[in-house]
Amino acid sequence: MAFGLLAWHYVSEVIIKDTAVLVSPWEVLTKAHEMFFVTAELYAHLFASSRIFFYGFLLAVLAGVPIGFAMALSPLIRDYINPWMTTLYTSPRIAFAPVLLLWFGIGEGSKVAIVFLGCVFPVLINSYYGMRVVNREFVELARSFRLGRWPLFFKILLPASVPFILAGIRLAIGRGLTGVAIAEWFGATEGLGYLVFFAGQTLNVPVLFVGVALFAILGILGFEIVRRVEIYLTPWRSEPQGG
Amino acid sequence: MREGEFVSIVGPSGCGKTTMLRVINGLMPHSGGQIFLDGKSADDVSNELLMGFVFQGASLLPWRTSLNNVLLGLEGRSNNGQDAEAIAKKFLNLVGLNGFENHYPHELSGGMQQRVNLARALAINPRILLMDEPFAALDAQTRNFMQLELLRIWAETKKTVIFVTHMIAEAVLLSDRVIVFSHRPGTIRSEFDIPIPRPRDMDIKSHPQFLELENKIWKQIEHEVKAAGGFAQL
Repeated sequence: MAFGLLAWHYVSEVIIKDTAVLVSPWEVLTKAHEMFFVTAELYAHLFASSRIFFYGFLLAVLAGVPIGFAMALSPLIRDYINPWMTTLYTSPRIAFAPVLLLWFGIGEGSKVAIVFLGCVFPVLINSYYGMRVVNREFVELARSFRLGRWPLFFKILLPASVPFILAGIRLAIGRGLTGVAIAEWFGATEGLGYLVFFAGQTLNVPVLFVGVALFAILGILGFEIVRRVEIYLTPWRSEPQGG
Repeated sequence: MREGEFVSIVGPSGCGKTTMLRVINGLMPHSGGQIFLDGKSADDVSNELLMGFVFQGASLLPWRTSLNNVLLGLEGRSNNGQDAEAIAKKFLNLVGLNGFENHYPHELSGGMQQRVNLARALAINPRILLMDEPFAALDAQTRNFMQLELLRIWAETKKTVIFVTHMIAEAVLLSDRVIVFSHRPGTIRSEFDIPIPRPRDMDIKSHPQFLELENKIWKQIEHEVKAAGGFAQL
């Protein structure tokens, strides 16, 4: 990390020396400081982006996990949802943005919908997969103890799926932030995506970098939160992946 | 089978020993025939918790500690009014895992995991204990220790045991009776009473009576395999 920053600094100060193309990390920091503590304009953007991210992400988890489970437990539901899922998941999300804008208006609704669309599939697919690959022996164990349908679900299937769901949530964070950027490029007046887009249009490179850096920081923050949740929820795993 | 009897089932690989255990336990539907328990068809009592199953792999739930793994079969049941946790602790103690109650499976050795597996099956106070090659995945030394441990635990609990194994010496060491299964389709080929007095220890493995029984059973299995087309079929 430190080496990368030094290299960045060197390239911007010694090789390129053109602030219309690349600015040094120091300048980005100075700009960020100004936008946080002098003009204080960043808070509104940060708040707007965090809000739509949070709502879209939350809805995606609330919808994705149960739908994934339902698909794992019922072949009928799986066969019904699978083609829709494949279609939606593989199409470029940016192409949906104008449609969603049309449906949900240019307010928060359409932006949350775009974020939702980005987050829901990793969560859904992992929840489905996690429950599908539960060790056969665990299911036999439950049957040998004559566990009923609900104890089987809550004591075996659900805990066995948790690591997979968390892995899906991890992927959803990255895709959700991309969703935020896409959403705020269309008819937004605030938010980090808007900030980056607008700065790009006006060739305001320091502001552009501040926006990109904040996206990165939000992503790192999200990963860190998931990592802690993972440690809390699955203390039985000797080493949670990544982090 | 008699109450409190230890019966082993041996036979060529793939003859359906494990399948039979799973059918007895209601994990698989049977294609014909009847299983009786106390004169009642096993189908009629299939929802009652009468059998403890010790799986080949430890099949411990990785998200549960030893104690909570043993508790799995006790949760949501009356347990004759006894405290479930006290029962679980008692059986962990019986299998020699005192002090490991709060360890997760990945923190235990293979032998210890099989001890938890055994404690979990015993904790529900089953009428019959079904054991499916429980020591097959252990190294030879650990397996020897576990065989002795099983002899001790069986002596203390006096459970009726059906023990599936492919190791003849293990079957002879542990059992009152050894049943040899024929090659596919698996049927009872022959039965051997093991009149070696208890308590038994590892020394009896070199006893002439032990070796003679082991040899006789091996001849029987060898005959089965040859009848089925020879060793290449294995």
